[in-house]
Amino acid sequence: MTREETLERLRELQTRVQELRQASDNPAIERTMQLLDLYCHMARWELGDVRAMNPEAESR
Amino acid sequence: MNLYKPAVEAQKFWNPYTQTMARADLDRLHLRKLQTAIEYAYAKSPMYRKLLDRHKVKPEQIRTMDDFVKRLPFIDKKEILDAQAVSPPFGDALAISEDFFHQRFATSGSTGAPLHIPLTYHSAELWGESWVYLYWAAGIRARHSFYFPFNWGIFAAFWSAYMGVRRLGATVVSGGGLDSKARLRQIEQYRPDVMLATPTYALYLGETAREMGVDLAKTSISTVIVSGEPGGSIPATRHAIEALWGARCYELYGIAEIGPTNPGCPLQEGNHLCEDWYHALVVDESGNPVPYGEVGEHIVTSYIQDGQPLIKYRTHDLVRWTDQPCGCGSTWLYYPGGVLGRTDHMIIVKGVNVYPAAVEALLHRVSGLSEHYEVHVDRDATNDFVTVKAEARADIDGVRYAEIGRDAAGVFKSVIGVSIDVTVQAPGSLPRYELKAKRFFDHRPAGHRWQLAGRGQA
Repeated sequence: MTREETLERLRELQTRVQELRQASDNPAIERTMQLLDLYCHMARWELGDVRAMNPEAESR
Repeated sequence: MNLYKPAVEAQKFWNPYTQTMARADLDRLHLRKLQTAIEYAYAKSPMYRKLLDRHKVKPEQIRTMDDFVKRLPFIDKKEILDAQAVSPPFGDALAISEDFFHQRFATSGSTGAPLHIPLTYHSAELWGESWVYLYWAAGIRARHSFYFPFNWGIFAAFWSAYMGVRRLGATVVSGGGLDSKARLRQIEQYRPDVMLATPTYALYLGETAREMGVDLAKTSISTVIVSGEPGGSIPATRHAIEALWGARCYELYGIAEIGPTNPGCPLQEGNHLCEDWYHALVVDESGNPVPYGEVGEHIVTSYIQDGQPLIKYRTHDLVRWTDQPCGCGSTWLYYPGGVLGRTDHMIIVKGVNVYPAAVEALLHRVSGLSEHYEVHVDRDATNDFVTVKAEARADIDGVRYAEIGRDAAGVFKSVIGVSIDVTVQAPGSLPRYELKAKRFFDHRPAGHRWQLAGRGQA
Protein backbone atom coordinates (compact mmCIF):
# COMPACT_ATOMS: atom_id res chain seq x y z
CA MET A 1 0.00 0.00 0.00
CA THR A 2 1.34 3.47 -0.81
CA ARG A 3 1.92 6.19 1.78
CA GLU A 4 -0.98 8.23 0.37
CA GLU A 5 -3.37 5.28 0.53
CA THR A 6 -2.27 4.52 4.09
CA LEU A 7 -2.79 8.12 5.12
CA GLU A 8 -6.21 8.29 3.48
CA ARG A 9 -7.35 5.24 5.44
CA LEU A 10 -5.80 6.55 8.65
CA ARG A 11 -7.64 9.87 8.38
CA GLU A 12 -10.95 8.10 7.72
CA LEU A 13 -10.33 5.76 10.63
CA GLN A 14 -9.42 8.63 12.97
CA THR A 15 -12.57 10.56 12.05
CA ARG A 16 -14.73 7.53 12.84
CA VAL A 17 -12.87 6.88 16.09
CA GLN A 18 -13.34 10.52 17.14
CA GLU A 19 -17.06 10.32 16.36
CA LEU A 20 -17.42 7.21 18.49
CA ARG A 21 -15.34 8.78 21.28
CA GLN A 22 -17.76 11.71 21.37
CA ALA A 23 -20.89 9.58 21.11
CA SER A 24 -20.07 6.95 23.73
CA ASP A 25 -21.15 7.30 27.36
CA ASN A 26 -19.19 4.20 28.43
CA PRO A 27 -15.90 5.13 30.22
CA ALA A 28 -14.11 2.02 28.94
CA ILE A 29 -15.11 2.75 25.35
CA GLU A 30 -14.29 6.45 25.61
CA ARG A 31 -10.79 5.69 26.93
CA THR A 32 -10.17 3.07 24.26
CA MET A 33 -11.31 5.45 21.52
CA GLN A 34 -9.13 8.22 23.01
CA LEU A 35 -6.10 5.91 22.73
CA LEU A 36 -7.06 4.86 19.20
CA ASP A 37 -7.33 8.55 18.28
CA LEU A 38 -3.83 9.05 19.70
CA TYR A 39 -2.41 6.08 17.77
CA CYS A 40 -3.96 7.36 14.52
CA HIS A 41 -2.35 10.73 15.23
CA MET A 42 1.02 9.05 15.88
CA ALA A 43 0.80 6.98 12.71
CA ARG A 44 0.08 10.08 10.65
CA TRP A 45 3.14 11.85 12.13
CA GLU A 46 5.24 8.79 11.36
CA LEU A 47 4.24 9.23 7.72
CA GLY A 48 4.91 12.96 7.78
CA ASP A 49 1.27 14.09 7.94
CA VAL A 50 1.69 16.76 10.60
CA ARG A 51 -1.29 18.80 11.75
CA ALA A 52 -0.97 19.37 15.51
CA MET A 53 1.13 18.35 18.52
CA ASN A 54 -1.49 15.94 19.84
CA PRO A 55 -5.04 14.89 18.95
CA GLU A 56 -6.48 17.37 21.45
CA ALA A 57 -4.80 20.23 19.58
CA GLU A 58 -6.29 19.19 16.23
CA SER A 59 -9.29 21.24 15.20
CA ARG A 60 -12.21 18.86 15.15
CA MET B 1 1.84 -17.04 14.21
CA ASN B 2 4.15 -14.08 14.83
CA LEU B 3 3.33 -10.61 16.15
CA TYR B 4 4.69 -9.04 12.93
CA LYS B 5 4.12 -10.38 9.43
CA PRO B 6 7.33 -12.06 8.12
CA ALA B 7 7.83 -9.46 5.40
CA VAL B 8 7.50 -6.68 7.97
CA GLU B 9 9.77 -8.42 10.47
CA ALA B 10 12.44 -8.60 7.77
CA GLN B 11 12.43 -4.81 7.31
CA LYS B 12 15.74 -3.18 8.16
CA PHE B 13 14.25 0.01 9.63
CA TRP B 14 11.44 0.60 12.12
CA ASN B 15 10.09 3.50 10.00
CA PRO B 16 11.64 3.13 6.53
CA TYR B 17 9.63 6.09 5.25
CA THR B 18 11.57 8.70 7.27
CA GLN B 19 14.75 6.79 8.11
CA THR B 20 15.75 6.75 4.45
CA MET B 21 14.28 10.10 3.44
CA ALA B 22 16.51 12.53 1.51
CA ARG B 23 18.04 15.29 3.65
CA ALA B 24 16.17 18.10 1.88
CA ASP B 25 12.83 16.33 2.40
CA LEU B 26 13.64 15.67 6.06
CA ASP B 27 14.47 19.35 6.54
CA ARG B 28 11.18 20.41 4.92
CA LEU B 29 9.31 18.04 7.22
CA HIS B 30 11.25 19.39 10.22
CA LEU B 31 10.17 22.93 9.44
CA ARG B 32 6.51 21.90 9.50
CA LYS B 33 7.00 19.99 12.77
CA LEU B 34 8.90 22.88 14.34
CA GLN B 35 6.15 25.31 13.38
CA THR B 36 3.60 22.95 14.95
CA ALA B 37 5.61 22.60 18.17
CA ILE B 38 6.20 26.37 18.45
CA GLU B 39 2.53 27.13 17.78
CA TYR B 40 1.51 24.63 20.48
CA ALA B 41 4.04 25.87 23.04
CA TYR B 42 3.07 29.51 22.50
CA ALA B 43 -0.63 28.71 22.89
CA LYS B 44 -0.37 26.35 25.86
CA SER B 45 2.79 27.07 27.88
CA PRO B 46 2.90 30.38 29.80
CA MET B 47 6.68 29.95 30.01
CA TYR B 48 7.03 29.88 26.21
CA ARG B 49 4.53 32.67 25.65
CA LYS B 50 6.54 34.92 27.99
CA LEU B 51 9.86 33.83 26.44
CA LEU B 52 8.73 34.51 22.87
CA ASP B 53 7.00 37.77 23.83
CA ARG B 54 10.19 38.91 25.56
CA HIS B 55 12.09 38.23 22.35
CA LYS B 56 9.35 39.89 20.27
CA VAL B 57 8.74 36.84 18.11
CA LYS B 58 5.40 35.25 17.20
CA PRO B 59 5.00 31.66 15.97
CA GLU B 60 3.75 32.83 12.56
CA GLN B 61 7.07 34.65 12.02
CA ILE B 62 8.92 31.32 11.89
CA ARG B 63 8.51 30.75 8.15
CA THR B 64 11.91 29.26 7.32
CA MET B 65 14.60 27.20 9.02
CA ASP B 66 16.72 30.35 9.06
CA ASP B 67 13.98 32.10 11.07
CA PHE B 68 14.03 29.20 13.53
CA VAL B 69 17.81 29.36 13.88
CA LYS B 70 18.10 33.13 14.12
CA ARG B 71 14.90 34.38 15.75
CA LEU B 72 13.98 31.82 18.37
CA PRO B 73 15.82 31.94 21.70
CA PHE B 74 17.58 28.99 23.27
CA ILE B 75 16.19 27.75 26.55
CA ASP B 76 18.22 26.34 29.43
CA LYS B 77 17.40 24.17 32.41
CA LYS B 78 17.51 27.17 34.75
CA GLU B 79 14.65 28.90 32.90
CA ILE B 80 12.47 25.80 33.24
CA LEU B 81 13.32 25.57 36.94
CA ASP B 82 12.39 29.26 37.33
CA ALA B 83 9.08 28.68 35.50
CA GLN B 84 8.33 25.64 37.67
CA ALA B 85 9.07 27.65 40.81
CA VAL B 86 6.19 30.04 39.98
CA SER B 87 3.75 27.39 41.18
CA PRO B 88 5.49 24.09 41.96
CA PRO B 89 5.85 21.49 40.73
CA PHE B 90 5.27 22.55 37.10
CA GLY B 91 4.22 26.20 37.24
CA ASP B 92 4.44 28.15 34.01
CA ALA B 93 6.23 25.34 32.18
CA LEU B 94 3.09 23.20 32.07
CA ALA B 95 1.15 23.05 28.80
CA ILE B 96 -1.58 20.51 29.42
CA SER B 97 -4.20 19.52 31.99
CA GLU B 98 -2.96 17.05 34.62
CA ASP B 99 -5.77 14.76 33.39
CA PHE B 100 -3.40 13.82 30.57
CA PHE B 101 -0.44 12.96 32.79
CA HIS B 102 0.79 9.41 32.44
CA GLN B 103 3.90 9.52 34.62
CA ARG B 104 5.93 12.05 36.52
CA PHE B 105 9.71 12.08 36.63
CA ALA B 106 12.24 14.35 38.29
CA THR B 107 15.97 14.87 38.06
CA SER B 108 18.08 14.28 41.16
CA GLY B 109 18.64 17.98 41.79
CA SER B 110 22.27 17.27 42.58
CA THR B 111 23.25 20.66 41.14
CA GLY B 112 20.22 22.57 42.47
CA ALA B 113 16.45 22.07 42.63
CA PRO B 114 15.10 18.92 40.94
CA LEU B 115 13.56 19.52 37.52
CA HIS B 116 10.07 18.03 37.27
CA ILE B 117 9.15 16.18 34.07
CA PRO B 118 5.48 15.50 33.27
CA LEU B 119 4.92 12.82 30.68
CA THR B 120 1.58 12.37 28.92
CA TYR B 121 0.61 8.99 27.46
CA HIS B 122 1.47 10.48 24.06
CA SER B 123 4.99 11.46 25.22
CA ALA B 124 5.51 8.14 27.00
CA GLU B 125 4.60 6.13 23.90
CA LEU B 126 6.96 8.14 21.75
CA TRP B 127 9.82 8.27 24.27
CA GLY B 128 9.44 4.51 24.13
CA GLU B 129 9.33 4.45 20.36
CA SER B 130 12.60 6.40 20.21
CA TRP B 131 14.27 3.30 21.69
CA VAL B 132 12.57 1.00 19.20
CA TYR B 133 14.54 2.43 16.27
CA LEU B 134 17.64 1.04 18.01
CA TYR B 135 16.04 -2.26 19.08
CA TRP B 136 14.82 -2.90 15.55
CA ALA B 137 18.10 -1.93 13.85
CA ALA B 138 19.96 -4.23 16.27
CA GLY B 139 17.79 -7.15 15.13
CA ILE B 140 15.67 -7.32 18.28
CA ARG B 141 12.10 -8.40 17.65
CA ALA B 142 8.94 -9.22 19.60
CA ARG B 143 10.16 -12.77 20.42
CA HIS B 144 13.10 -11.42 22.45
CA SER B 145 13.14 -10.66 26.17
CA PHE B 146 14.81 -7.78 28.00
CA TYR B 147 16.39 -7.75 31.45
CA PHE B 148 16.29 -4.50 33.45
CA PRO B 149 18.85 -4.80 36.28
CA PHE B 150 17.89 -1.81 38.42
CA ASN B 151 15.24 -0.37 40.67
CA TRP B 152 12.40 1.70 39.29
CA GLY B 153 12.59 5.20 40.76
CA ILE B 154 11.48 8.77 40.02
CA PHE B 155 14.37 9.22 37.55
CA ALA B 156 13.37 8.90 33.88
CA ALA B 157 16.49 6.78 33.27
CA PHE B 158 15.49 3.44 31.75
CA TRP B 159 11.72 3.89 32.13
CA SER B 160 11.56 5.01 28.51
CA ALA B 161 13.53 1.92 27.49
CA TYR B 162 10.83 -0.14 29.20
CA MET B 163 8.15 1.83 27.34
CA GLY B 164 10.05 0.98 24.17
CA VAL B 165 9.99 -2.75 24.90
CA ARG B 166 6.22 -2.50 25.33
CA ARG B 167 5.93 -0.53 22.07
CA LEU B 168 7.99 -3.17 20.24
CA GLY B 169 5.92 -5.97 21.73
CA ALA B 170 8.84 -7.82 23.37
CA THR B 171 9.06 -9.21 26.91
CA VAL B 172 10.25 -7.45 30.07
CA VAL B 173 11.97 -9.20 32.98
CA SER B 174 12.52 -6.81 35.90
CA GLY B 175 15.48 -7.05 38.28
CA GLY B 176 14.04 -4.33 40.55
CA GLY B 177 14.49 -4.71 44.30
CA LEU B 178 17.41 -7.15 43.97
CA ASP B 179 21.14 -6.86 44.54
CA SER B 180 23.64 -7.60 41.78
CA LYS B 181 24.16 -11.24 42.78
CA ALA B 182 20.42 -11.94 42.77
CA ARG B 183 20.13 -10.27 39.37
CA LEU B 184 22.80 -12.51 37.90
CA ARG B 185 20.97 -15.54 39.31
CA GLN B 186 17.78 -14.20 37.69
CA ILE B 187 19.56 -13.88 34.34
CA GLU B 188 20.57 -17.54 34.63
CA GLN B 189 17.00 -18.48 35.56
CA TYR B 190 14.98 -16.44 33.04
CA ARG B 191 17.51 -16.47 30.18
CA PRO B 192 16.76 -13.00 28.74
CA ASP B 193 18.29 -11.99 25.38
CA VAL B 194 18.96 -8.31 26.00
CA MET B 195 20.24 -6.39 29.02
CA LEU B 196 20.02 -2.61 29.49
CA ALA B 197 22.41 -0.82 31.84
CA THR B 198 24.82 2.05 32.19
CA PRO B 199 28.29 1.12 30.86
CA THR B 200 29.55 1.38 34.44
CA TYR B 201 26.98 -1.13 35.71
CA ALA B 202 27.47 -3.52 32.77
CA LEU B 203 31.16 -3.65 33.74
CA TYR B 204 30.47 -3.67 37.49
CA LEU B 205 28.38 -6.82 37.06
CA GLY B 206 31.55 -8.42 35.71
CA GLU B 207 33.25 -7.97 39.09
CA THR B 208 30.20 -9.45 40.86
CA ALA B 209 30.13 -12.35 38.41
CA ARG B 210 33.82 -13.10 39.06
CA GLU B 211 33.11 -13.24 42.81
CA MET B 212 30.28 -15.71 42.12
CA GLY B 213 32.29 -17.78 39.65
CA VAL B 214 29.82 -16.92 36.86
CA ASP B 215 31.06 -16.47 33.28
CA LEU B 216 28.86 -13.73 31.82
CA ALA B 217 29.90 -14.69 28.29
CA LYS B 218 28.09 -17.99 28.80
CA THR B 219 24.78 -16.43 29.88
CA SER B 220 21.80 -16.00 27.52
CA ILE B 221 22.51 -12.27 27.01
CA SER B 222 23.40 -11.69 23.36
CA THR B 223 22.86 -7.91 23.29
CA VAL B 224 23.82 -5.28 25.88
CA ILE B 225 22.32 -1.82 25.41
CA VAL B 226 23.99 0.94 27.38
CA SER B 227 22.83 4.45 28.16
CA GLY B 228 23.08 7.15 30.83
CA GLU B 229 26.76 8.00 30.28
CA PRO B 230 29.25 7.82 27.41
CA GLY B 231 30.78 4.44 26.72
CA GLY B 232 28.82 2.61 24.06
CA SER B 233 30.34 4.76 21.31
CA ILE B 234 33.86 4.57 22.76
CA PRO B 235 35.34 1.53 21.00
CA ALA B 236 37.53 0.33 23.89
CA THR B 237 34.71 0.55 26.45
CA ARG B 238 32.28 -1.13 24.06
CA HIS B 239 34.79 -3.89 23.31
CA ALA B 240 35.35 -4.44 27.07
CA ILE B 241 31.58 -4.86 27.59
CA GLU B 242 31.29 -7.12 24.54
CA ALA B 243 34.17 -9.33 25.68
CA LEU B 244 32.79 -9.55 29.21
CA TRP B 245 29.27 -10.50 28.13
CA GLY B 246 30.06 -12.32 24.88
CA ALA B 247 27.45 -10.02 23.35
CA ARG B 248 26.99 -7.13 20.95
CA CYS B 249 26.90 -3.74 22.67
CA TYR B 250 24.83 -0.79 21.43
CA GLU B 251 24.09 2.56 23.01
CA LEU B 252 21.31 5.11 23.16
CA TYR B 253 22.02 8.73 24.06
CA GLY B 254 19.22 10.54 25.86
CA ILE B 255 18.63 13.46 28.17
CA ALA B 256 16.45 13.12 31.27
CA GLU B 257 14.27 16.15 30.64
CA ILE B 258 13.80 15.70 26.88
CA GLY B 259 13.98 11.94 26.33
CA PRO B 260 15.84 9.36 24.25
CA THR B 261 16.96 11.65 21.44
CA ASN B 262 19.61 9.52 19.73
CA PRO B 263 19.29 5.77 19.21
CA GLY B 264 22.63 4.14 18.49
CA CYS B 265 23.68 3.26 14.96
CA PRO B 266 23.70 -0.51 14.37
CA LEU B 267 27.28 -0.13 13.09
CA GLN B 268 28.11 0.85 16.71
CA GLU B 269 30.48 3.76 16.09
CA GLY B 270 28.01 6.51 16.98
CA ASN B 271 24.33 7.38 17.06
CA HIS B 272 21.63 8.97 14.92
CA LEU B 273 19.29 11.79 15.88
CA CYS B 274 15.78 10.32 16.08
CA GLU B 275 14.41 12.67 13.44
CA ASP B 276 10.84 11.45 13.70
CA TRP B 277 10.51 13.01 17.15
CA TYR B 278 13.40 15.43 17.58
CA HIS B 279 15.17 18.28 15.79
CA ALA B 280 18.74 19.28 16.60
CA LEU B 281 21.26 22.02 16.00
CA VAL B 282 24.91 21.87 16.95
CA VAL B 283 26.23 25.34 17.81
CA ASP B 284 29.46 27.06 18.70
CA GLU B 285 30.03 29.33 21.71
CA SER B 286 28.47 32.27 19.87
CA GLY B 287 25.29 30.29 19.24
CA ASN B 288 25.82 29.83 15.48
CA PRO B 289 25.35 26.35 13.98
CA VAL B 290 28.70 24.73 13.27
CA PRO B 291 29.19 23.13 9.82
CA TYR B 292 28.53 19.40 9.50
CA GLY B 293 31.63 17.54 10.64
CA GLU B 294 32.37 20.01 13.45
CA VAL B 295 31.88 19.79 17.22
CA GLY B 296 29.56 22.00 19.24
CA GLU B 297 26.81 22.04 21.82
CA HIS B 298 23.77 19.89 21.07
CA ILE B 299 20.57 21.96 21.00
CA VAL B 300 17.42 19.84 20.84
CA THR B 301 13.75 20.46 20.11
CA SER B 302 11.21 17.82 21.04
CA TYR B 303 8.05 17.21 19.01
CA ILE B 304 6.61 14.95 21.69
CA GLN B 305 6.68 16.98 24.90
CA ASP B 306 3.06 18.07 24.96
CA GLY B 307 3.15 18.25 28.78
CA GLN B 308 6.19 20.52 29.05
CA PRO B 309 7.38 21.65 25.60
CA LEU B 310 11.10 22.11 25.05
CA ILE B 311 12.26 24.02 21.98
CA LYS B 312 15.93 24.81 21.27
CA TYR B 313 16.86 23.25 24.58
CA ARG B 314 20.50 23.50 25.64
CA THR B 315 21.73 20.02 26.51
CA HIS B 316 25.29 21.11 27.39
CA ASP B 317 26.48 17.96 25.58
CA LEU B 318 29.27 18.24 23.04
CA VAL B 319 28.72 16.28 19.84
CA ARG B 320 30.07 16.14 16.30
CA TRP B 321 27.30 15.98 13.70
CA THR B 322 27.32 14.92 10.09
CA ASP B 323 24.76 14.66 7.31
CA GLN B 324 26.87 12.20 5.30
CA PRO B 325 25.08 8.96 4.37
CA CYS B 326 25.74 6.33 7.02
CA GLY B 327 26.82 2.79 6.20
CA CYS B 328 23.74 1.50 8.00
CA GLY B 329 21.55 3.06 5.29
CA SER B 330 19.84 5.67 7.46
CA THR B 331 19.78 9.28 6.32
CA TRP B 332 19.20 10.60 9.83
CA LEU B 333 21.89 12.93 11.21
CA TYR B 334 24.83 10.93 12.48
CA TYR B 335 26.97 11.67 15.57
CA PRO B 336 30.24 9.74 15.27
CA GLY B 337 31.63 8.86 18.68
CA GLY B 338 28.37 9.76 20.46
CA VAL B 339 28.64 12.37 23.21
CA LEU B 340 32.20 13.69 23.35
CA GLY B 341 31.83 15.46 26.69
CA ARG B 342 29.96 18.22 28.47
CA THR B 343 30.37 21.88 27.58
CA ASP B 344 31.44 22.50 31.16
CA HIS B 345 34.01 19.70 30.79
CA MET B 346 35.57 21.20 27.66
CA ILE B 347 39.33 21.30 28.11
CA ILE B 348 41.63 23.48 26.03
CA VAL B 349 45.31 22.66 26.47
CA LYS B 350 47.58 25.08 24.63
CA GLY B 351 44.88 25.74 22.05
CA VAL B 352 43.96 22.09 21.52
CA ASN B 353 40.44 20.90 22.43
CA VAL B 354 40.62 17.75 24.55
CA TYR B 355 37.39 15.81 25.04
CA PRO B 356 36.93 13.50 28.04
CA ALA B 357 35.63 10.75 25.74
CA ALA B 358 38.91 10.92 23.78
CA VAL B 359 40.88 10.58 27.00
CA GLU B 360 38.90 7.44 27.87
CA ALA B 361 39.33 5.98 24.40
CA LEU B 362 43.09 6.54 24.43
CA LEU B 363 43.58 5.11 27.92
CA HIS B 364 42.10 1.85 26.70
CA ARG B 365 44.85 1.65 24.09
CA VAL B 366 47.50 1.42 26.79
CA SER B 367 48.45 -2.11 27.65
CA GLY B 368 48.30 -2.84 31.39
CA LEU B 369 45.54 -0.38 32.35
CA SER B 370 42.06 -1.37 33.60
CA GLU B 371 38.79 0.50 32.83
CA HIS B 372 39.01 2.49 36.10
CA TYR B 373 40.37 6.02 35.81
CA GLU B 374 39.85 9.68 36.81
CA VAL B 375 40.53 12.83 34.80
CA HIS B 376 41.48 15.93 36.82
CA VAL B 377 41.51 19.35 35.16
CA ASP B 378 43.03 22.49 36.64
CA ARG B 379 44.26 25.78 35.29
CA ASP B 380 47.41 27.83 35.67
CA ALA B 381 47.71 31.47 34.61
CA THR B 382 47.13 30.78 30.92
CA ASN B 383 46.20 27.17 30.26
CA ASP B 384 44.09 24.24 31.33
CA PHE B 385 46.17 21.25 32.31
CA VAL B 386 45.11 17.66 32.75
CA THR B 387 46.28 14.85 34.97
CA VAL B 388 44.95 11.31 34.81
CA LYS B 389 44.87 8.69 37.57
CA ALA B 390 44.46 5.21 36.17
CA GLU B 391 44.39 1.79 37.76
CA ALA B 392 46.66 -0.97 36.56
CA ARG B 393 45.22 -4.38 35.71
CA ALA B 394 45.37 -6.91 38.55
CA ASP B 395 48.04 -9.01 36.78
CA ILE B 396 50.52 -6.12 36.43
CA ASP B 397 53.51 -5.95 38.77
CA GLY B 398 53.78 -2.66 40.72
CA VAL B 399 57.33 -2.06 39.48
CA ARG B 400 55.88 -1.47 35.99
CA TYR B 401 53.43 1.31 36.98
CA ALA B 402 55.78 4.20 36.18
CA GLU B 403 56.63 2.70 32.79
CA ILE B 404 52.94 2.23 31.92
CA GLY B 405 52.26 5.83 32.98
CA ARG B 406 54.96 7.01 30.56
CA ASP B 407 53.44 4.84 27.80
CA ALA B 408 50.04 6.43 28.39
CA ALA B 409 51.48 9.97 28.39
CA GLY B 410 53.23 9.08 25.13
CA VAL B 411 49.93 7.98 23.54
CA PHE B 412 48.28 11.29 24.48
CA LYS B 413 51.22 13.27 23.13
CA SER B 414 51.35 11.37 19.84
CA VAL B 415 47.58 11.24 19.16
CA ILE B 416 46.24 14.56 20.43
CA GLY B 417 49.51 16.44 20.69
CA VAL B 418 49.25 17.55 24.31
CA SER B 419 51.11 16.62 27.49
CA ILE B 420 49.00 14.80 30.06
CA ASP B 421 50.56 13.35 33.20
CA VAL B 422 49.36 9.85 33.97
CA THR B 423 49.71 8.30 37.42
CA VAL B 424 49.21 4.55 37.47
CA GLN B 425 47.80 3.15 40.71
CA ALA B 426 47.12 -0.24 42.25
CA PRO B 427 43.87 -2.11 41.40
CA GLY B 428 41.01 -1.14 43.73
CA SER B 429 42.55 2.22 44.71
CA LEU B 430 39.95 4.35 42.86
CA PRO B 431 36.29 4.53 43.96
CA ARG B 432 33.80 2.06 42.43
CA TYR B 433 30.36 3.08 41.17
CA GLU B 434 27.32 0.94 40.50
CA LEU B 435 25.33 3.11 38.10
CA LYS B 436 27.21 6.10 36.75
CA ALA B 437 30.91 6.60 37.32
CA LYS B 438 32.30 9.98 38.34
CA ARG B 439 35.46 10.22 36.29
CA PHE B 440 35.79 13.94 35.59
CA PHE B 441 36.98 16.33 38.30
CA ASP B 442 37.10 19.98 37.33
CA HIS B 443 39.17 22.20 39.63
CA ARG B 444 39.13 25.22 37.29
CA PRO B 445 37.51 28.56 38.18
CA ALA B 446 33.95 28.71 36.73
CA GLY B 447 34.85 31.62 34.43
CA HIS B 448 37.12 29.38 32.38
CA ARG B 449 34.39 26.98 31.31
CA TRP B 450 32.25 27.07 28.13
CA GLN B 451 29.82 30.02 27.97
CA LEU B 452 27.14 30.07 25.26
CA ALA B 453 26.66 33.72 24.38
CA GLY B 454 24.45 32.93 21.42
CA ARG B 455 21.75 35.03 19.90
CA GLY B 456 18.41 35.02 21.55
CA GLN B 457 19.72 34.25 25.02
CA ALA B 458 17.24 35.60 27.52
